[in-house]
Amino acid sequence: MSSAPAPKPTQRDEAVLGKAYDSRLMLRLWRYVKPHWALLALALILIPITVAFEIAQPYLLSIAIDIYIAHHITEGLGSLALLFVSFVLLQAICSYAQLYALQLVGQRSMHSLRMATYRHILTRRLAFFDRVPVGRLLTRMTNDIESINEMFSSGVVTLIADVIRLFAIVAMMFYLNVKLTLITFITLPALFVLVGYSRKLMRTSYRQIRVKLAAMNSHVQEHLSGIKVVQLFCRERATASTYERINTEYREAYTGSIRADASMYAIVEAIGICSAAAIAWHSGSTIGEGIITVGLVVAFMEYVNKFFIPIKDFSAKYAVMQSAMAAAERIVGLLDTEETDAPLDAETDASVVEGAPAIAFSDVTFSYRIGEQVLKGLSLEVEPGQKVAVVGSTGSGKSTLIKLLARLYETDGGTIALGGRDLRTIPADEVRRRITVVNQDVFLFGGTIRDNVRLGHSSASDADVDQALAQIGADEVVRALADGADGASAHVADRGENLSAGERQLISFARALVRDPEILILDEATAHVDPKTESLIEAGLDTLMEGRTTLVIAHRLSTIRNADKIIVLAHGVVEEEGTYEELLALGGVFAKLEQSFSREH
Amino acid sequence: MLLCTAALTLSLPTLLGKTIEALIGPDPAGQVPTLALWMIGIAIAGACTRIASRVWLFNAARKAEYDLRSIVFRHLLTLDSKFYRENSTGDVMSRLTNDVQTVRALWGPGLLNIVNTSFLVSVALVLMLRVDPVLTAWALLPYPSMVVLGLGFGRRIYKSSRQVQAQLGTLSSSIQEDLTGIAIIKSYNLEENRVENFATSSTLLLNHNMALTKVRGQLVPTLGAVAALGTVVMLFIGGRRVIEGHITLGQLIEFNAYLAALVWPTLAMGWMISLLQRGRASWERLTVLLTTSPEIADGDGDAIDPDKARGDVEIRDLHLSLGDTEILHGISLRLEPGTTTAIVGRTGSGKSSLISTLPRLNAVVDGSVFLDGQDINSLPLESLRSLIGFAPQEAFLFSTSIGENIRFGVDRRPVPPTTEEGYAAAIEEAAKYAGLTRDLAALPDGLDTVVGERGITLSGGQRQRVALARALATQPKVLVLDDSLSSVDAETEREILSHLGELMKDRTSIILSHRLAAVRRADQIAVLEDGKLVELGQHAELLSQGGVYAEIYDTQLKEGVLDE
Repeated sequence: MSSAPAPKPTQRDEAVLGKAYDSRLMLRLWRYVKPHWALLALALILIPITVAFEIAQPYLLSIAIDIYIAHHITEGLGSLALLFVSFVLLQAICSYAQLYALQLVGQRSMHSLRMATYRHILTRRLAFFDRVPVGRLLTRMTNDIESINEMFSSGVVTLIADVIRLFAIVAMMFYLNVKLTLITFITLPALFVLVGYSRKLMRTSYRQIRVKLAAMNSHVQEHLSGIKVVQLFCRERATASTYERINTEYREAYTGSIRADASMYAIVEAIGICSAAAIAWHSGSTIGEGIITVGLVVAFMEYVNKFFIPIKDFSAKYAVMQSAMAAAERIVGLLDTEETDAPLDAETDASVVEGAPAIAFSDVTFSYRIGEQVLKGLSLEVEPGQKVAVVGSTGSGKSTLIKLLARLYETDGGTIALGGRDLRTIPADEVRRRITVVNQDVFLFGGTIRDNVRLGHSSASDADVDQALAQIGADEVVRALADGADGASAHVADRGENLSAGERQLISFARALVRDPEILILDEATAHVDPKTESLIEAGLDTLMEGRTTLVIAHRLSTIRNADKIIVLAHGVVEEEGTYEELLALGGVFAKLEQSFSREH
Repeated sequence: MLLCTAALTLSLPTLLGKTIEALIGPDPAGQVPTLALWMIGIAIAGACTRIASRVWLFNAARKAEYDLRSIVFRHLLTLDSKFYRENSTGDVMSRLTNDVQTVRALWGPGLLNIVNTSFLVSVALVLMLRVDPVLTAWALLPYPSMVVLGLGFGRRIYKSSRQVQAQLGTLSSSIQEDLTGIAIIKSYNLEENRVENFATSSTLLLNHNMALTKVRGQLVPTLGAVAALGTVVMLFIGGRRVIEGHITLGQLIEFNAYLAALVWPTLAMGWMISLLQRGRASWERLTVLLTTSPEIADGDGDAIDPDKARGDVEIRDLHLSLGDTEILHGISLRLEPGTTTAIVGRTGSGKSSLISTLPRLNAVVDGSVFLDGQDINSLPLESLRSLIGFAPQEAFLFSTSIGENIRFGVDRRPVPPTTEEGYAAAIEEAAKYAGLTRDLAALPDGLDTVVGERGITLSGGQRQRVALARALATQPKVLVLDDSLSSVDAETEREILSHLGELMKDRTSIILSHRLAAVRRADQIAVLEDGKLVELGQHAELLSQGGVYAEIYDTQLKEGVLDE
């Protein structure tokens, strides 16, 4: 499946949906913007310059009218027009430069945010991933960061520029004529009331819209993923009518925002005209006094026009801000999750203690979920160089054992020691260097076979990788894949989907061999493969285990028979332990299993 | 409404011109207030019509979006597995959300702007020509270039945003891959390696975004500058014309106001053209979806009367191809009512494909599969599917309660219970047969336990058993278990299957299992190998034949007996 399930709003998500600005969140985001402060400063400096060129234009217009056109003077009108043109061009250039700088800051900050978030996600412990579905993390990384990015790319960040422009316009108007300015803005209280009203309307509306949209997307996601079940159980009609209900609610959620948007736009426009009327009215009664000129009136009208343009877009910008804030809240929530993975580089002595067992579990308890204990006081030892087979039914705790050993999870109680040292005092990356786990479902990344064998173990040369493949006996299989000589550079599709289960197993053996680990943990595969691959796998396994401390979750009788020691797990504790013969003689669980095998045979 | 608004908008410059005339004229104090009152009146009238037209238009666009979405979704529900194999859920979802949105934008803001612009432009043009044809010619000189620029920009923006979208796709699939393989990333210390890999993708996204920014950033200043050039022309040429006495100052101001009224619609025109292009692309994508007709549709024969249905299945020389490869090569098999048939074989032998043909999850040619003597292709889908209870291996549960999930099965009976008690009993019974009783008792909310994000709070085995209960709850004539107990431990599987015997006494059961021990007692065992039926018979016969079955049985004993 290539898509992320749509995010379902949690209670917390919904609680913050309404806000369009949150200084705490902005402060958190600032962390990612800060490194690019120089560019940001440049952008900020350019803002007043751009504004200056812009608001000088109506002024030039008024001069042209009052001094030249009204007095019928042609001379100088040409150079004035030229000046006007250059102002226009300068404004265009500056505003482009400003926009570019600002966007670069935005894009770079988003890159930093993405990197920080991704690093944060990858360094959480495994329990975090059990709890949080991949789809949700994917949504944080893509949709949510895009929503914040939208704040930059749609130019909402230029709100700062808008504010500066508004102030500059008002200042210029005051400079030209105080009284006329005051009269012009006689309409301003109406504007404030309007903005307040529509903000409220939009806030509720957008909250509804987001909630409904999320519900709609998750409904579609769910039912398209389960389309087979929908069709098998003839639920098409029921599914469609649920969808229509949510769809209707979604449409209705827009009513408020449409109303707010339309009235905002239209009324702001009307207020602008009223301001113009006010200017005209006042000028009409006072023009005789000679203070107010036609040019001034024209300039004022232009200023009023410029003043109201950004306000008309308010609702669109509000929506963008609001969704950016909601996204920021979710990302910050993610960045605030603790659950860090085991420390990677603790500065302690991790060397093997002479004579200590390679692996020792003593009285280990563990549960994935509270109240469901999986390991209930497990103790076992593996001596250096020993091959130990672990057997037990599904749910006995076999795979948990492996996960704890690689320190993917932390124990609830008891200790695990590696070479005589407590696992918790050894840096996690050191643990994972010394132990290599070979799982039964092999995960391959998109790339070449060589990449997959090397997999981050950068000290392995191509020759090392090829040699490992050859030792395992996978070279032939690999060659067949590429139908060429250099099989190891054959392409592996995402998740290795172009390889068979057996081929994937062999690659994972080579992957382990190239690392040459002290301790090998093996989860034997149960997949049924063709006899030829089967024998290849068996041979590969022998190579891999040779001379290595090995702990095998065993499924094959041959493995079990050849082990130095067998540990029988049941319900999270060691039930029996000993060599094959010892266990048979014991006449317990293992012997019974073995017996039933013989009888059925 | 739109036209009223536009007309009102254009009456303003005229008023403005008159006002300026009056200001210069002999009696400004007398004339101007009347004109100002007129302006206020127009402002109010304009606001009313504008609100009305916008609300009406945007609501209409939302309605269109709503209809379109419903139609597309309804259609999606009818499409078959072939379609879903070829199209990822993500892609289909993006059509249903993004493309529908784009088409809506075409109807709402798009239509608004197009009507507005064409009306404003034509009327303003006439009014301007009335004031001064020479000036009009000069002032409009830069305008055609704006349309051309808008078009060019539209195309570039479209191209750039496509690149951004594609890179976002790459980014998200690489994240998905990493997060799915998080355990191996941790076990092999790959965190840094993956972060670096991600950095490359992220940087590429940054670059694509900046390319888009560049185009967008150039657009507004460029078009703005071109528009301002019109003002310069007005100032320079218009100023001269006033001085030379061709027009009055008031007329010049009026003219300027017309020009100003044209700037934004003209700018928007360029945008609209790109919007139109995108809308058309989206519309095409939706059309492709809507014109895809399912290969698997209702047959034109009569439905089988559920009371008379026996569950007699016959497969005659069935060939099945998925894509270009033939998976099943001529399989014939008879499943008598009241018997149990086990289907076994190695991974990839075609077992699942074979049983997927029964409820027509995969299309078969006419004359291959029969239910109670009727070709399944001739049956209405609902009639066919309501006779078959299917429990798939990948137990898909809906994110509602366990009880509700099982209820979906009860709902599908030919005659569902009429009372809530009837439902409760049916759900209870199905849960019992699926071996869920003990699990339900352990869950605090029992049947009311809500299945988490796609069933994550339940174990794999529990999910499979809920899905089984759902299939049993339909009281099917033919029960199909598609390895649907693979995550359940062997002992429980045996237990469930033995209880099923009594439930399925008069019905036909088909059980596909990877554990041979579980299906040993079946009335007949069909062994598939490479898409062919190679052996057919009962356990003892097949074992003594020493063929594929015996071989698989042997390896399973060796490997598997200690597994459980």
